[in-house]
Amino acid sequence: MLRYLAKRALTYVFMIFLTTSAGYLLAVSTLQPALLEQERIPRPTPEQVVNSFRLKGLDPTLNPWERYVDWLTAILTRWDWGRSPNGAFINAEFGDRVWISTRLFLASIILTLVIGVALGVFTAARQYKASDRAITSYSYLMYIVPAPIAYFLVQLGAININESVGERVFFVTGISTPGLDGDGWAQFVDMLAHYAVPTFAITIVGWGAYQIAQRQYLLDNVNADFVRTARAKGLTRNQAISRHALRVSFIPVAQSIAFTIPAIFAGGFFAEKIFAWHGVGSWSIDSIALQDVNAATATLAYGSVIFAVGAILADFATTLVDPRVRVQ
Amino acid sequence: MTNLNTIDPAAVLDEGKFGDDEVVIGKSRIILRRFLRNRTAVAGLAIFLALTLFSFIGGFFGSWDKETIDPFNIGMPPSAEHPLGTSQAGIDLYALTVEGTRVSILIGVVVGLVSVLIAAVYGCTMAFFGRKVDKVMLFILEALIMMPALLVVAVATSGGANGLKNTVPSWLLLIIVLLVFSWMGTARLIRSLSLSLMQRDFVKASQYMGIPPRRIVWRHLVPNIGSLLVLEVTRGVTGAILAEVAFSFIGIGIKVPDVSLGVLIGQSTSQVSTFPWMFWAPLIVMFLLTGSLAMMNDGLRDAFDPSSSSVGRAKRKKASGKATGKIPSGTTQKKIK
Repeated sequence: MLRYLAKRALTYVFMIFLTTSAGYLLAVSTLQPALLEQERIPRPTPEQVVNSFRLKGLDPTLNPWERYVDWLTAILTRWDWGRSPNGAFINAEFGDRVWISTRLFLASIILTLVIGVALGVFTAARQYKASDRAITSYSYLMYIVPAPIAYFLVQLGAININESVGERVFFVTGISTPGLDGDGWAQFVDMLAHYAVPTFAITIVGWGAYQIAQRQYLLDNVNADFVRTARAKGLTRNQAISRHALRVSFIPVAQSIAFTIPAIFAGGFFAEKIFAWHGVGSWSIDSIALQDVNAATATLAYGSVIFAVGAILADFATTLVDPRVRVQ
Repeated sequence: MTNLNTIDPAAVLDEGKFGDDEVVIGKSRIILRRFLRNRTAVAGLAIFLALTLFSFIGGFFGSWDKETIDPFNIGMPPSAEHPLGTSQAGIDLYALTVEGTRVSILIGVVVGLVSVLIAAVYGCTMAFFGRKVDKVMLFILEALIMMPALLVVAVATSGGANGLKNTVPSWLLLIIVLLVFSWMGTARLIRSLSLSLMQRDFVKASQYMGIPPRRIVWRHLVPNIGSLLVLEVTRGVTGAILAEVAFSFIGIGIKVPDVSLGVLIGQSTSQVSTFPWMFWAPLIVMFLLTGSLAMMNDGLRDAFDPSSSSVGRAKRKKASGKATGKIPSGTTQKKIK
C-alpha cells in the first residue's frame, strides 16, 4: 500500500508542477504591475519603474518564458518564491498568511464535520419525521445560498445584536483588537469575541452538505441485506444501524471530508474577505488586484498542494476503512 | 435501453390499465407524469419560467431603462415612479434587476447545458476507450480540478492591458471561464457510471457485432445515463448562477458596466442599513431563481428514479388521493392524466 501511495504522491507532485507553471505563465502574461506604478505621485519615469522591478527580480522587459525560467530556478535552488512589486518577500508573508487562515478555519472545519455527520445519522434514523424534514430542508436551503451572502447575513445579524445590546459583544471583522493589553483572561475574551462570528457563520453554512451526504448514504444502507440479517439475528434497530450500517456509510463521507477540507482552505476567500481576516484566500484576490505575479502563483501552488494532500488522505482513508478496495 | 426492460412499477401499472387498447406508454411520458404529480417541482418550474419571462419582457413594464439617470431621484427608496427605488447613481433599480436577472439566467443556462455536454462526451470517451486514453484524459481532468477556478476567473476578468477584456463583454468571459472549470466533477461521475455499463453484456454484444463506437455510445451508453445528465443540467445551472453571484459579490467576475444579480447584491452590501432596498430586491430574485431550480431538481430526481421513496409528500398524496382508485383500473388512468 505504501508503494501505491508513493506512486500517487509522485503523480500529484507532477500535477502541482504543471498547474503552478500554467498559473505562472498565465499570470505573467496578463498581470502588468508597471501600469499601477504609473499612478504614483510623483509619477516615475518608465526607466525608473523598470529599474526598480529589475532589482526585485520582476524585470518587465524579459519575455514570459525567460521570467518563468528565472522564477523556477530560484525556487528549485533556493526555495525563493520571489518578491512582490512593493518589495515584500513572498516566503515571509506566506508564513503569516497560512497561520491566519489555519486559525480561522480549523475550529469551523471540526465543528462542521461533527455536527454534519451527527445530524446526518440523527435524521436518517428518523426519516420523514418532523425533525428530519426540518433539518434536511435547512440543509437544502444552504445549498441555494451563495456562501458569501450567507456570511454577510450572519455578519448583519451580529451587528444587530451588538446594536440592540448597546455594546460591542461580537467583533464582526478582524482577528484581535490592536494594542489590547491586559491579562490572559482579557486576551482570551477578546479572542472569543473575534472568533465567534466567523466560526459560527462558516459552520452553519458548511454542515448542510455533510448532513445530506451522511443521511443519504446511511439510508442507502439501512435497508441492505446485511443490516436485515443483523436485525434477524436479534439486534435492535439502533444496534444494527450503529454497528453495521453506519460503518459502511461513513466510507464515502470520509472520502468527501478529505476533499472538502482543501476546498474550505483554498476556498476561504469569501470568509476572509467578508470578515477581514487577511489569510491566504484574501491574499490571492488582492495579489491579482495589485498585479502581483509571484504572490498569485504562490497562493495557487498552495491551493494545489492542499488539494493533493487531501486527495492522498482520501485514498489512504479509503484503503484503511474499506477492505474491499483493492490497491494496485 | 435496458431501462425500458427493467421492471418499472409505474410502467407496469399503466400498461396493466390499458388492457384493451394495447398501448404502451413511453418512458418519457411516464417521467413527465411523475414530474407533474410532484407539486413542489411543478411550482419550481413555474417560478423559473416566470422569472425567465420576466427577465425578457419585464423591461417593457417599467418606464426607465438601465442607462438613464434620474437626477431628481438618487438613492431613493421605492416610490410610485420607481417601483424598486433607485441606485446611488440614480438608475432605476427595477430596470437593473430585470437586466441582471437575464444575465444571471443566461450564464446559468449556458454553463449548465454546455458543461454537461462536454462532461458527457469526455466521460463516455474515457470509459469507452479505456486504458491509455482513459489514463491520459483522467490526468488532464484531475489537473484541471486542481486549478483553483477563482484565481483564473480573477486573472481572466481583471487582466488589464491585454485587450481581451475590452473586446469581449465580461459576462461572456465569465461564461467561458466557468465552462472550463465546471465540467470535471460531472465527467468523473459519468466515467465511473459508463465504466460499469461497458461491462454489461449488451454493450459487449454490440461491440462484437462490429457496431461503430459512436453508435454504441449514442444508443447504449447515453440513454442509460440520461437521467443523470438531466439532473446534472439543473444542478449545473444552479451552480453557475451561484458561482456568478459569489464571484461578482466579492468584486471579480462580472464588471460594472454589465449588470448581474451578483453585481447588484455586491454593490449594495456596504450600505445595507441606509439603502436596504438595493440589497433585498436582487437578493430575493436570486433566492427565487436558485430555490425554484432546487425544487425542480428534487422532482426530476424522483421522476427518473422508479424505486424512489424520497418524496414522501408526493407518495402520500398519491396514496391518499388514488389509493381507492388503484384497484379498479380504469378510474386511475383518468386521474393520473
